Amino acid sequence: MKTIFRLFGLLLLTGLVLAQQPGRGLTPVEGRPEAPDFTLLDLDGETHRLADYRGKVVIVNFWATWCPPCRAEMPSMQRAWEKLREQGVVMLGVDVGEDEETVFQFLADYPVEFPLLLDQDSRVIERWGVRGLPTTFVVDPEGRLAYRAVGGRKWDSPRLLEAVLALRH
Amino acid sequence: MLDKFCRWLAICSMMPPLAFAEVQTGSDPETGLRFWQWSEDGVSVRLVQRLPDQTRGFFLARGFRAAEADRIARACVFQTIFRNDGARPVDFDLRDWRVLHQGQSSRLRVREDWDALWPEDAVSKAARIALRWSLLPTRQHFEPGDYNWGMSAYGLAPGSRFDLRLVLHIGGQPVEALLPGIECPRDGDKP
Repeated sequence: MKTIFRLFGLLLLTGLVLAQQPGRGLTPVEGRPEAPDFTLLDLDGETHRLADYRGKVVIVNFWATWCPPCRAEMPSMQRAWEKLREQGVVMLGVDVGEDEETVFQFLADYPVEFPLLLDQDSRVIERWGVRGLPTTFVVDPEGRLAYRAVGGRKWDSPRLLEAVLALRH
Repeated sequence: MLDKFCRWLAICSMMPPLAFAEVQTGSDPETGLRFWQWSEDGVSVRLVQRLPDQTRGFFLARGFRAAEADRIARACVFQTIFRNDGARPVDFDLRDWRVLHQGQSSRLRVREDWDALWPEDAVSKAARIALRWSLLPTRQHFEPGDYNWGMSAYGLAPGSRFDLRLVLHIGGQPVEALLPGIECPRDGDKP
């Protein structure tokens, strides 16, 4: 009988191991280089300079309205921001190559409250070495690139929130 | 006997999954669009047909003029989903991939090819930016868990059939594979 229970337990363990999806988290950026500074306008015409957020953890998400994985991760980014905003974490969405009106229209379907900045000539994304959308960086309070994620994530998952919050002083 | 089996199972459960390549084809039940997928060791590349009309409409809405949007739309464009759900980093360069069609081997049309195609004044900067970022990156490095979606263009006429030779590096090791019998979408394929 004991053996049957052991066998059942092992089968369960085997199933769990096989079902587990590796990765999907945040990749530490080697050497934590300084994040390239930028100054961009948000949809309300307010200026955001990355360097002004020194001392805080900043999540910088490069995206576009037409990009399916970008759209898919937006609700979880909003939920994450609701949990992080009071804890010294800043979230900035940087739309690449689109105008204000296009992003406004997007907000009707995907209401997000964190600042959405416009990188209309794609100068900022080029300087950040991004190759595909979405790509997200987590900048530490010293203004260095701590983590990178290529492709969408479930940003409100406890594992990701913990990694972000652990960067605070 | 059962004890031995338990021990064997325990060992198996700790081993990484065995690597094997798999090619899948099928069609979306809702859209009728066909897909081809290659996967190995948790890494997968999936090509999903994009009708020329879809692609034409996408680029017209992003500032391309009709002739240029049509040129992209008729270049055998697929939505491409490249995922690394494996345990090792993955690198690729689309310029290493080959399109095998009627005994000829050719390259994909990557971001840089399209960018060089039109004189500066023929296509607006906004349209160029949209095209560049909507295409799968020419080169990419994926850590485990990373992925990209993007269009890939094969430069063949609608309805053409070709094989695709994929080249990538998984954990630094070169991997080559063949995705056979891919069909360029054509507007007549509408479900």
